[in-house]
Amino acid sequence: MAAAASSPRRGYRKARRERGGKVAAAVHCGPRATVMAAPGQRALGWGRWLCTAPAPRPWKLFGAMCLLRLPRITQPLTKDEEEMAALMGQIELEKSCYSDHEIRKMQEEEQLRRRKESGYDDVDEGPGKTVIMAQDLEEKWEQKFLQFEAAPRLTDADKSNNRTSLDRRLDSNLLLLVKQKVGNQELWLLPQAEWQPGETLRSTAERAMATVLGGHVQAKTLGNAPHGVYKYKFPRAIRTEDNLGAKVFFFKAFLQSSDLSQAELKRDCLWVTKEELGGYLKAEYLKKVNRFLLDL
Amino acid sequence: MLAATARAGRLFCGALTAPDGAQLSSWLPQMAPFRGSHWQTSVLAFRASLPMRAQPKKKKKVDVKREQAQKDRMKKKIKKLEKAAAEMIPIEDFVTPFKYSDGSRVRSLPPLSFEETERRVLLLKKWSVFKQKQDKAEKQAIQTLVEAQQEALKELRLESEELYQAAIKRDEQLFPFERDGPSYTPPLPGYDPPEGKCIDITKVYTQ
Repeated sequence: MAAAASSPRRGYRKARRERGGKVAAAVHCGPRATVMAAPGQRALGWGRWLCTAPAPRPWKLFGAMCLLRLPRITQPLTKDEEEMAALMGQIELEKSCYSDHEIRKMQEEEQLRRRKESGYDDVDEGPGKTVIMAQDLEEKWEQKFLQFEAAPRLTDADKSNNRTSLDRRLDSNLLLLVKQKVGNQELWLLPQAEWQPGETLRSTAERAMATVLGGHVQAKTLGNAPHGVYKYKFPRAIRTEDNLGAKVFFFKAFLQSSDLSQAELKRDCLWVTKEELGGYLKAEYLKKVNRFLLDL
Repeated sequence: MLAATARAGRLFCGALTAPDGAQLSSWLPQMAPFRGSHWQTSVLAFRASLPMRAQPKKKKKVDVKREQAQKDRMKKKIKKLEKAAAEMIPIEDFVTPFKYSDGSRVRSLPPLSFEETERRVLLLKKWSVFKQKQDKAEKQAIQTLVEAQQEALKELRLESEELYQAAIKRDEQLFPFERDGPSYTPPLPGYDPPEGKCIDITKVYTQ
């Protein structure tokens, strides 16, 4: 009967009792049961076979969006991988045959060598006639390659550890974190919004994202189903029969647009990698979030 | 009779030389007896000698039969050709071009030393272990992902059936999902690629 007695750790037992209650209610209420079917209504007793009026469940629903910026460059190779790559290159070279360019190079080297041995007195090469050797071509290509400068893999944001920029850590996933007020505390969390009746949880999460980033963000949500859930009970001070706690459902989305300069940042937000999450999120919350975040 | 013959002859001549029949008939003497055609053995008996049988369709029947026989022969040939197996499209990569068939292109390299072969074998073994660990870790990660999602859906179902049903609906806009993979270096801002045209010379076969 006393549902409020259990501590947050015994969530499973509570869930089982709830499920039993809900099934009973469903059986009794039948097709007239609406969205918020009474969770067993233990106060009314199990023997009450009438259809109870739908009372709101004690859990508040939140939809949270886990917005990921996907990596833009490849991760550096580990030592094993580098050795293997070198070996593969060697084996490929050994198994290959000569290409046209290599044959041409070999023939020209032969000619040069023969000319050196026989002396420099050959009238074959007329004055002013220049022959482009394969070696010259190679040198020309090398020069051209050295002139090209690629963008650096380690950006300025990396060096200054600017966590608000999207250019940091281009080789891993970046996750959006915002500082939101929950209860009376300001916490770092994934952007979340309370569920309003009439919308799906996915749209709740998208609304949360839009409120934080301004609505011009192109993000592809991965499906209609939530990827994770975090259930917590309110502290005893505000806990009531009807207001036990909240369930936060996480949705995943990939960021499509590469720059957010047009986005008006309503609150402080950070872009962090999975390893850095520990420094911002609470332990229980972090545990749940880590389950559905891939490490790459 | 003579007049009729002459008339017939004129008409026939007219029929034979249609474009300038008028000219021909103009200089032909009106009343002279003449043979309209080589079929006309005698001037008088012209009607019988002309190849105008009472049953002109006989010739057409033979024609029709011949034509039908020709058509059947053609159809048989076509069927034979169709029944023959379609020629396979050659895979360009598996066909060695002729100019590489002589052995002049074989690379001459010194044989590998014992240490080198040993090193290679050991490295390959280390690599297989590394890849196995990586694969296991990936599978474990996917397993946790799926478990987390199942848990979330269970909790959602406890909350409300309607939201649950909305959550397990298929998302039509998710697929086809396209994404450009990561490159070795990030894109250079303001890079101007050199001008050029790419001409595709791959051979296209039709079956």
